[in-house]
Amino acid sequence: MKNPVVVLGLGNPLMADEGIGVYLIERLTKLAPEYPNVDFVDAGTGGLSVLHVIEGRRKAIVIDCAFMDEEPGVIRRFTPHDVRSAKVLAHQSLHEADLLHILNLAKQLDQAPEQVVIFGIQPEQVVPSTGLSAALLTRMNTYLSQILCELHA
Amino acid sequence: MPKTVNVNVHHVTRIEGHGNIVVNATNGKVEKVQWQVPEAPRFFEAMVRGRSYQDIQTVVSRICGICSITHSLTATKAVENAMGIEMSEQTDKVRILMHYSEQLQSHVLHVGYLVAPDLFGFPSVVPLAAKAPDVVKAVIRLHRLGNEWSDLLAGRTTHPVTLVPGGLTKVPTAQQLIELRGRLEACVPDLVAVAQAVLSVAGSIPAFTRETEYISLRQDSPPAYTFYHGEIASTDCDGTVAVNDWKTVTNEYVSDQSTAKWTKWHRDSYAVGALARFNNNGQHLLPLAKDVAKMFGLQKGCCNPFMNSVAQLAEAVHVVEASKILIDELLTKGLKEEKVRVSPKAGKGSGCVEAPRGILFHEYEFDRRGNCVGADICIPTGQNHANIQKDFEKFVPEILSEGEDAVRLKLEMLVRAYDPCVSCSTHMLNVQFVR
Repeated sequence: MKNPVVVLGLGNPLMADEGIGVYLIERLTKLAPEYPNVDFVDAGTGGLSVLHVIEGRRKAIVIDCAFMDEEPGVIRRFTPHDVRSAKVLAHQSLHEADLLHILNLAKQLDQAPEQVVIFGIQPEQVVPSTGLSAALLTRMNTYLSQILCELHA
Repeated sequence: MPKTVNVNVHHVTRIEGHGNIVVNATNGKVEKVQWQVPEAPRFFEAMVRGRSYQDIQTVVSRICGICSITHSLTATKAVENAMGIEMSEQTDKVRILMHYSEQLQSHVLHVGYLVAPDLFGFPSVVPLAAKAPDVVKAVIRLHRLGNEWSDLLAGRTTHPVTLVPGGLTKVPTAQQLIELRGRLEACVPDLVAVAQAVLSVAGSIPAFTRETEYISLRQDSPPAYTFYHGEIASTDCDGTVAVNDWKTVTNEYVSDQSTAKWTKWHRDSYAVGALARFNNNGQHLLPLAKDVAKMFGLQKGCCNPFMNSVAQLAEAVHVVEASKILIDELLTKGLKEEKVRVSPKAGKGSGCVEAPRGILFHEYEFDRRGNCVGADICIPTGQNHANIQKDFEKFVPEILSEGEDAVRLKLEMLVRAYDPCVSCSTHMLNVQFVR
């Protein structure tokens, strides 16, 4: 049975800061017993699978690496209405995905949650590597407390 | 005829390396036709070196979010091959059942999300969802079923966690399999509806053909339409090649126009994927899947790459039908928990599984403690690059008179038909704030 709220971590932990969503979900999952009405999901790079994870929820909180023209390590909370995608999709393969495009499709299909909140974290580096760069690693606790605040909101 | 045709579909970004399409023609004369692939180097091979044999399948599952089960299965098979680990019949069947879930979700999504908008004349699935909501909803329902089916057997939708060398950490219950079987039975009308919808616009599938070598797995004993067992087969020869000898098939080489290695066997190029599997094994499709192939006039020996999407539709039906049979066999035998006991040892071995987009090879070497000392991965899309280039060279002169826009669209459709996996390691957001 799905909980009314879902927190999704997106990204690839083998591409350094690109995996921030997954690293944060690992930490959040350890706190899951304190949040019985919340599901924490490592959605990796599953693309459109996000559609099914958010379907039927009241609220979806998405954590993802994001180019936002900010300093590395900056976290910003926003909704899909606050931004437009600067990503050019080649439409060549299923292996490219744009969260905003997926959310738009969910809306079109009438299966979007009432509320979607995105936490974007500006990367310092996106390169083949395990582990996060210092700019993000030193802010992990800040990220966690901001996301937990959202759960208490 | 247009005097000049210049197509430059350029998608290179620093991280997400999509292929570029370049065509230059003047006065009806083709000067340049190129499929350029700036694919990232194979850094995953370096990432698994030094890691324990127990961790390989977890790392490689992150290579690709769409084919994560296939990568994990291929790695697990390679590890088991390297260390001489035997599989129980139950593990084998559950793994194949798990793998079918990925075939279904990938195939329906590829056809519904990327190919159908082309055929219906829409730029993407979003406007298609507005105009033909029933078809898109059927695709999404099938994709959701594939996701939940993966969840049940792999532990989660993407990046599986139940696979370990020697077995599985979790076995489904009989009740779960009975429920899954019911859902598979119930999804057939959706599959047929999607096939009918694609058939209604099948006239938009370009009638392009080029003699091609098709390579896939083939299982002779017992004969079956295989994604998992068997040896490497080609439409250009009768025999098969053992999985451990896969490099005698791929013959990788460096092309000037790509940082991804290209491959060739009996000809200058070969193709892998659903159409390759169909051309090598089509006679073994289950009856309902054969009916779908027949609806579209797809027959063995087909050399129209655009028909790969039709072969995917037939395979989507096949994996659902084959899964019902597998579930019945598992239930008849009874499911039991099996202990996994593996002692690491030195060795080298390969694994091969058919990803939705074609044959995938992994090879690993381990020291006596079971730590990885060497890795080699050859993905299906890498094996298709040379073939896409050869298709371009024949196709462009045939469509040049249709003008620049048509050439661009048809070449993009051709690339899409191969269901490429050109960028799967990163999916991050790139946003501009508007308020």
